[in-house]
Amino acid sequence: MGLEKFNPSLATHDLIQDLKWSPELREAFAADEAAVLDRYPLRQDERRAIETRNFLALYDMGLHPYLGGQFARLIFGNEAGKGATVAVNKLVESLQGKGSVA
Amino acid sequence: MAEIVYAAGAPHAPGLIGLLEAAPPDVKDVVAHTYRSLAEAMASAKADVLIVFANDHLANSRVRAYPDFLIGMAAEHRGPYEWFKPWIGCEDYTVKGAPDVAAALFDGMTRRGVRMFAQSENLKFDDNISVPVLLTNVAGSGIPMVPVLQNCTVPPIPDQRRCYEVGQALGDFIRHDLPADMRVALLGSGGLSHEPGGARYYFIDEAFDRWFLDLVASGDHETLLNELTLEKMEAAGSGGTAELLAWIVVLGAIGPKPGKSFGYTVHKDFKCGVGGVLWDMSPNMPKSRAAA
Repeated sequence: MGLEKFNPSLATHDLIQDLKWSPELREAFAADEAAVLDRYPLRQDERRAIETRNFLALYDMGLHPYLGGQFARLIFGNEAGKGATVAVNKLVESLQGKGSVA
Repeated sequence: MAEIVYAAGAPHAPGLIGLLEAAPPDVKDVVAHTYRSLAEAMASAKADVLIVFANDHLANSRVRAYPDFLIGMAAEHRGPYEWFKPWIGCEDYTVKGAPDVAAALFDGMTRRGVRMFAQSENLKFDDNISVPVLLTNVAGSGIPMVPVLQNCTVPPIPDQRRCYEVGQALGDFIRHDLPADMRVALLGSGGLSHEPGGARYYFIDEAFDRWFLDLVASGDHETLLNELTLEKMEAAGSGGTAELLAWIVVLGAIGPKPGKSFGYTVHKDFKCGVGGVLWDMSPNMPKSRAAA
């Protein structure tokens, strides 16, 4: 699974970039995820994949894998050797066939 | 004529800082030997400016407006960017910039048909610049830096031949546009094999890494350009290994020269093969190991 499915128009890319670049948005995402998702023109299946932490589905829609890795860290943890390791393992679990890892 | 007095390539995996302490002793030895050797050589080169090419990692731009090359023109470079700090696990740093060189680089590459972008505001640095800056003591040495963040992962990606051409234009710019007595250091930051964000996140292609290190140290650029295709790099780790294109820019600038590596190591937690190369910039060197 590489870059062959990459779809630059997927709105999730903007969501991830904004979360990375804005501590305030990260706080809002943690407090009320649905309200933050409402701000982005997500497809129905795209939003559902985010809500169920289904990275495999997001990648099939065209999410860039590098941003997918960062999205996992935004959700599961970003600290070296701790949350970031959990994030990597959850992501791999999803991509290797499990789909939803909510 | 300005002179390239230092040229090297090295990985920037975040684990090299945040996860190094927990790594096995033999892994730590290779990491320490590699970056200490590169740092000592950089100090000995007495360069006036360091230009670093590195994968941008989608840190600065959206995927629909993604530059192939983004020059940092700031008078002072600060990093890492806020969100990356716990992930890398490193201290904050400040490195002096070289706005005049950065502006000249932008103008010079534009004149040579290479579209780059440039930004005066501080760029967002993740491991791409932070790791080599800290491990090779750029921050402590006082050498001014011009970072150039590169598209190694957003299709369409400038391939090995285009990156080599960009490197050739860079070399021409250094030799003909910069002040005659200026001493320039070049670093390609990235690699070796890894697949960040992929289903094979923990995959490291040891055979590829050893092949690559031997080839770039040999000075045989014809074989390198024929065989180091995007497809080969993607097979060795999608979305990550292709940041070796930053090394290719450096090689284009210096032309065929032999180099030496300081060992190779793999460590699962780094999620990346580790090894660096320092090319011999002394005058009158043979163009390749075979010609020596």
